[in-house]
Order: sequence, then structure tokens, then C-alpha cells
Amino acid sequence: MNKFSLQIKKMVVLLLVLTLIPFMMSGCWNRRELDKIAIVAAGGIDKENKDKIKITAQVFKVGEIKSPQSGGSATGKPYVNFEGVATTSFEAIRKITQIASRKLYWSHNQIFVFGKEIAQEGIEKYIDFFVRDHETRLMVNVLVSKGTAHEILTTETDLETIPAMNINDIIKDLGATSQAPQITLKDIAERLLSKTSAAVAPLVEVQEINKKKHARIAGTAVFKKGKMVGELTPEESRGYLWVIGKVKSGIINVKTDDGTKRASLEIIRANNKINADIKDGQLVITVKIKEEGTLNEQDSPKNLTELPLWHSLELLQAAAIHREITAALKKSQEYNADIFGFGEVVHRKYPLLWKDLEKQWDELFPYLKVNIEVQAKLRRSGLITKPISPSTEE
Amino acid sequence: MFRFIMRKLHFLHLLHHNPLQDKNKEPEKDPATTLLTKDLQQNLAKLKKILGTSNDIIIRTFTFGSNNIEAALIFLDGMVDKTTVNESILLPLMYEYPQSKSDEDSSWNNIEDIQQKLITVGEVKKTYAVQDTILSILSGDSILLINDLNQALIISTRGWEARGITEPQTEATVRGPRESFTETLRTNTTLLRRKLKDPNFTLETLVLGKRTQTDVAIAYLKGIVNPRLIEEIKRRLNQIDTDAILESGYIEEYIEDNPFSPFATIANSEKPDVIAAKLLEGRAAILVDGTPFVLTVPMLFVESFQTAEDYYSRAYYTSILRLLRFLSFLLSILSPALYVALTTFHQELIPTPLLLTMAAAREGTPFPAMVEAIGMGIIFEILREAGVRLPRPVGQAISIVGALVIGDAAVSAGLVGAPMVIVVALTAIASFVVPAQTDVGSILRIFLTLLAGFLGAFGIAIGILGVLVHMCALRSFGTPYLSPLAPLSTGDLKDVFIRVPLWDMFARPRTIGWIDPQRQAFRLKPEPPPKKD
Repeated sequence: MNKFSLQIKKMVVLLLVLTLIPFMMSGCWNRRELDKIAIVAAGGIDKENKDKIKITAQVFKVGEIKSPQSGGSATGKPYVNFEGVATTSFEAIRKITQIASRKLYWSHNQIFVFGKEIAQEGIEKYIDFFVRDHETRLMVNVLVSKGTAHEILTTETDLETIPAMNINDIIKDLGATSQAPQITLKDIAERLLSKTSAAVAPLVEVQEINKKKHARIAGTAVFKKGKMVGELTPEESRGYLWVIGKVKSGIINVKTDDGTKRASLEIIRANNKINADIKDGQLVITVKIKEEGTLNEQDSPKNLTELPLWHSLELLQAAAIHREITAALKKSQEYNADIFGFGEVVHRKYPLLWKDLEKQWDELFPYLKVNIEVQAKLRRSGLITKPISPSTEE
Repeated sequence: MFRFIMRKLHFLHLLHHNPLQDKNKEPEKDPATTLLTKDLQQNLAKLKKILGTSNDIIIRTFTFGSNNIEAALIFLDGMVDKTTVNESILLPLMYEYPQSKSDEDSSWNNIEDIQQKLITVGEVKKTYAVQDTILSILSGDSILLINDLNQALIISTRGWEARGITEPQTEATVRGPRESFTETLRTNTTLLRRKLKDPNFTLETLVLGKRTQTDVAIAYLKGIVNPRLIEEIKRRLNQIDTDAILESGYIEEYIEDNPFSPFATIANSEKPDVIAAKLLEGRAAILVDGTPFVLTVPMLFVESFQTAEDYYSRAYYTSILRLLRFLSFLLSILSPALYVALTTFHQELIPTPLLLTMAAAREGTPFPAMVEAIGMGIIFEILREAGVRLPRPVGQAISIVGALVIGDAAVSAGLVGAPMVIVVALTAIASFVVPAQTDVGSILRIFLTLLAGFLGAFGIAIGILGVLVHMCALRSFGTPYLSPLAPLSTGDLKDVFIRVPLWDMFARPRTIGWIDPQRQAFRLKPEPPPKKD
């Protein structure tokens, strides 16, 4: 063989190998076309009977979502709820394939709703699959229904096309009031792994508006070791958010003019600082909140931006925050659920001491002394300083 | 079966190397290799025998002088400039010779004198060989044969109908020279000469093609170009032993570094300013008679992304355009593959709202995404080819049919999803942004789409990796194809992804112009005049 044909031979062999390789390699094996999958938008778990659960999967009906050609001639609802009843989550999901023509595809799941019964029984055994499986997402938003998950997933929507997207968008905007936390499956899983910290999740309820069922966020569900033990009201929820530093915005109402008039203050930014100390052999937690707000509405005829009044507004604001935090703290100690993660603060500060404290945290926490220091400032008063209806006295 | 193919190839190879040339050499008495005799009629008979009886061969016999010296002028009708033949050859010989008769007769029989004193043409040569006369006649020169002389005069009378200098058809510019090369080699070298008024501008010519006898010129700037590059070009050109060179593409295929690579390692252009700029960077150009496309070597991959206009318009926008071209190239080879990979393997990577629209569009389409992508790609290539080949007036019909078929009908008929049309259209447009790599783009696109269809993003990664490895191994006349990126030469990055202002481009490209690296003076940045105190 001479050089020329050797080169040709090498080329031919290489080409053959290259063409054969793709058929032998596994590559990404999970090949499926877009029109062969059922895109799940929301999942829900309810208690069916004593030992069976019901998984509700809300699936996009992509044909009904306005496609560029059909020009939005959608007739039916653009979603369908599939239900599977079995003893475990995974089995229930697989059972859905017996009624659904396509395989459920969980990678675009937006929200996950637990029914109240399931939450009270304990969620940890049912979420194992959703944390373990490769297709489900950890960043899915988790909610707890005051009733069943199924009823949440059948609520009406006005602006969005399907309930899942509607609730998901509501959760994204929770920061506007800061009256319920935004919790993902990852947060829940982390809290469940911790021995002392307790998990929380936003509560959602069904509210009838004009004889239409709408989903509405209503405070926070408190878990203790995976079991729901109680609820926080929206105000207590904000108290909780102050402590963990997750307040983004919101309205604080204070009474002015000796309690006869009201002013609305908007929260602009807030910082938290949690510290643990041992004073005289007693564990003391100090929560420091620094808040800045603006005066956004007043019905008092006085010019509240004048200095003594302005300072009193700031104090009233701080007092309101203090009240919210105290309420949240009281509830959590009542439930004996360390939702604030004080245990972890102590752990970080006194790692050696924590080994002993951890075991008796359940006895310690309800009587834990917590100092709350709030520093609230008002920065601006909107576009005007004086009220538009000044008092006649001046 | 494999061995069968190998044996066939081997056999073909042996055939190619069988001593065919030796057989040709046997009949030594080919009239073309003989010398001219003193007998005019004999010489004419010889030429007639070689040239045949084509009616464009003109043999003008005449006598001149008082002694009635017999002579013959032979040329090809249409290849010569008639005015030169009539007024600069025939006129002086037939009219002025008798007047000079008062001088001594003998001296005028000398062919030297005719060449020196009578023929008023710029370029006149003497020859004894029949071969030379034949070649000259075929190239458009005229041959003057005189009785009793065993020499012939080759008088340069070349002149034929040629296309004028027009605007370039393949490289349109908004700003910059609008002239382009033509089919005539001499015109093309002139165009270069006018750009480079430098005595170092050198042209080396050789003739290639046994039957076409095509003039090929190597142009370069002495002192800037690497002498070993010129040697290598000459070595490769001299190896060409074929019967026809009709276009520079013929030469390109004979002298390429890696003939099996889809990537072209020899650049071409039909713009004199582009060629001049490349010569100034230290490259060499190969001009071929009969085509306006001039080859330049060595070629780098990044050259495909540079246009002449980059250096004529200001640096900011040019730099954006450069990046845009790289993006377009990536889009043109990757977008169908990415679409296929995302929709069939990695749906979780698509944002939810987009996934919904894509899923809605795919609802009810009959074929897998990969088949769709390749099918639409083929339809696009068909349309493109039809658009290029069709006569201009019919071309419009193609675009209408194409727009309807590819765009609307295929979607409303439910054959393909609408996003696929967008992907194909984007690919099509993006592939034309880098014309030099359009053909490579088409090949890579199909290759990567197949890989994506079988293996998903993993396949794309493997494919890209393979292509990159291949590109890193490529050389163009000894220069790494991917330089200045791999191997990295940081100084040359001034002209790759961005183009820095001209005053900052101090050096020639390091891998090409290192013989004389300095292009200009330092500190050419325009500055206000120094303050006078």
C-alpha cells in the first residue's frame, strides 16, 4: 500500500466509525417530541381515604392556548386536571398515565399545593419523590390549602389562563404586602432536614367573589417536623418576615391626631440582624430591625412632615413593627415551632454549647427570651409635604 | 465490500501513476518541437499542419522591398488588434521598406534591422523554435516569417473583446472602491499595480494547463512576504499537471493543504483593494487568466469575517458588525440543531411561556422535529440553488413560490410548526452574513442537526468539539487556520472580534507578516497640536 491509498483508507475508516458512533451511543436517552408530553403546571396532594392519597396534576391543554394560526378561538378551558389515587406519590402519578394520553412532564411545574389534611398528617413522606426525581423541580412554589388542594386547582382565573399560572403570579407579587412567605420545595426540604427549625408555607384559601371561586393568599401555615401545627394571620406572617429579613414592601397603618386620623406608611427597605447571647446563664436572642419607609397617605389635616410630628410618626411605625413581631413570636412559641431559625443562630454562635441545647430545644424554645429592637425611619413624604386639605385652624 | 472498494481505489491509483507520459514522449518527431528552417514555404506548411484549417487562422503572405522578399504574417483573427497589425507591421514593411532602399541592401535583410527599425510595436521577440511561434499565435501574437531566415519575429498584437471593469458581483460595498477584477490577467495586474506603486510589487508568471495554456501570476510584495511562502506556492503550482485550468477554483483544489476538509484554506476575492490589502499584510496572491477571482494564501478562519468596508468605515460600528458576523455564523450552523435538541430532549430549558407557544405550534404536526428541521433545510437549499441558477427574469417567481411554500403554506397545511419556519428563516439569513463560510455552514448545519436529533445537546457538544479539533489541525500554507485565536497571538486580536482604529494597528498579522512586522509609525493617534507657551 502506498501513501495515497493509505490516506484514503484512513479517511473511509474514520467516516464509517463516525457514522456508526451515534447509533451506539446512548446520548440523552429521554427523547420525546413536544406534542407527546403533557406539560404539568401545578400539582396537588389530598387525602383520599385512610391510607390513600390523591394527586391532582394540572396540565396545559396547549391546543386551547391561542396558537399563532388559530387566533385564539379557544373554546374550552385551557387546562385539564388529572387525578390519580394510590398509596404513594409516585404510584399516583403513574396511575395518571392510565387516563391521560400523554406522559406527564413535571419540569415546568409552577406550584405545588398540599391539602390541609395531608399537611396535618405530615408532608415529608409525600414530597420525597418530588425531591428525588430528576424531572421535578426543587424551585416549585409550595402552598398549603385551607381546604383541599383540588379545590385550589379548580378556581377561576380572570387575567391568567389557568389557575396554576394565576396562583404562581400571585405568589411572585407577595412582596407587595409581605404578608405571606414565598416558599419553594427546596426551602421546605432544607427545613425538614434541620432538627430544630420549623418549616412554613403560604396558606391559600378559596374565596367566592361574584359567585366565582377565586384563590386567595391567607397567611402562613406553620409546620413542626413536617406536620402542620397551626396558622399565622397575615399580620403575624409579616412579623415573621420582619425577623427573617424577607419584608420587601408593604403598608403600615398608624393612628395620628390622638387616634382619630390615620396615615399609611410604605415600607421601602428593611434589614434584620439576629444575635444570640448568654447573659447571667440565660440564653437571650436579640432581633434588630432597621426599617425605612415613606409617608404615602394621610387623612389628618396637619402637616405631618413637621419635625415633632414626623418623629412621632417614626415611633408609631416602630411600635407597629414591634407589635407584629411580638405577635408572630408569641404564636410560634405557642406552637413550639422555631420558624425563625433561632436555633441555627445559637448553633453558629455557640457551636459547642449547641450539642446540649439541640436536644432540649423543644423545652427551651417556648420560654426563650427574645429582645426586639426596632429602628424605623421615614425618608420621604411623596410628592407633596403639606396635606391637600390643610386644617382651618392654621 | 470494504476490501472491494479499497482494491478499486488502489487500481485507480496505479492507473494514474502508469507511465502515460513516457508514451507521449516516444514520437520525438512532433513537428512542434522542431526548429524553423530557412524555407518559408516549408515553415508555413509546418505551421498549417499544426494549426489545422480553422478559418480564424489568417496567413497573410506578401512581398516587400525591391528584391521582393517573401514574407508571411500569421495571426488568429479576433485575438489580435487589427489596427496594430495593419499600421504597425504591414504598413512599415510594405511602404517604408522601399524608401529605405537607397541604403545598402544587405543590411536590410537582417532580421535585427526589421525588428529594430521597422516594426513599431512595443514588444517584439525573436525565436527559432516552432513551438514558440505556435504558442504565440494561440495567445494572440502575430508571427512574421521571412524567406531565407530561420528565425521568426513574435510581435505582440494581443487585443480582443473583453468585459470592462465593472462593480463586483459578489462583494458589494457601500463605501469603498467599486471596481472589480475582470477576466483578463493583464487588466487585473494593472488594477493591482495602480493600488501598489511599489517597486517591490512582484509578479511571477507561469503557464499552467497543457491545453488551455493559462497564464497564472503570483503577486506579492518583496520584503513583506515570507520567501518560503512563495517557494511553497511555486512548488505546489509546478506540481499541477493537468490539461485545463479554466478558473482559479481549479488551482485552489490542486494546491489546498487539506483537500478533504469542508473548510476552504485559500481565500478569494474579486476586489483589487482587498487583494492589495492582503498583499500588504504579507500574503501572496495567485491571479489566473480568465477569471476575476484572485486567490490569496495563507487564509485564516477569521478572514471570512473581515470585509473591505471594515477598514473604510469607523471602528465602533465596524466592531459591532464583526461581533454580529460571528454571532450570525454561530446561529447559522447551530440554530436548527439547538431547536431540535431543545424540543426533543431538553424541554426543561425552554421558558414556560415559550414552551407553551412552541408546543401549541407543534400540536398535530406529523414529523419529528429533526425530520422537520432537515426537510426545511433541504427546501431552503433547493430554493437558494434555484435562485442562483435561474435566469434573472424568472428569479422573482422563485422567491414568491419560496416565500409561500416555506413560509405560509407549510404551516397552514400543518406540515411543520411555525417556530421551525422562523428557525429556518433565521438560519438562512444568518448564513448569508458570512459569504465565505456559507458552504461550510450548510454542511455543518445538517451534520449538527443530525447529531442533535440523535443525541441532544450532548450530540451538539460532540459535533462542535469535533469541528473545533479539525479546525485546530488545519493549516493554510503552514499557517494555523485558527490563528490568531489558536495559537493565540494577543496582538492580532486587534483585528478579530473588534477592529481597533487604524492608527493603533501597528503591526502586520504576526503569523503572516512577521518578515517585516512594522506597518506604520507609533503614536499616530490624532491629537490636538501642542500648546504654545
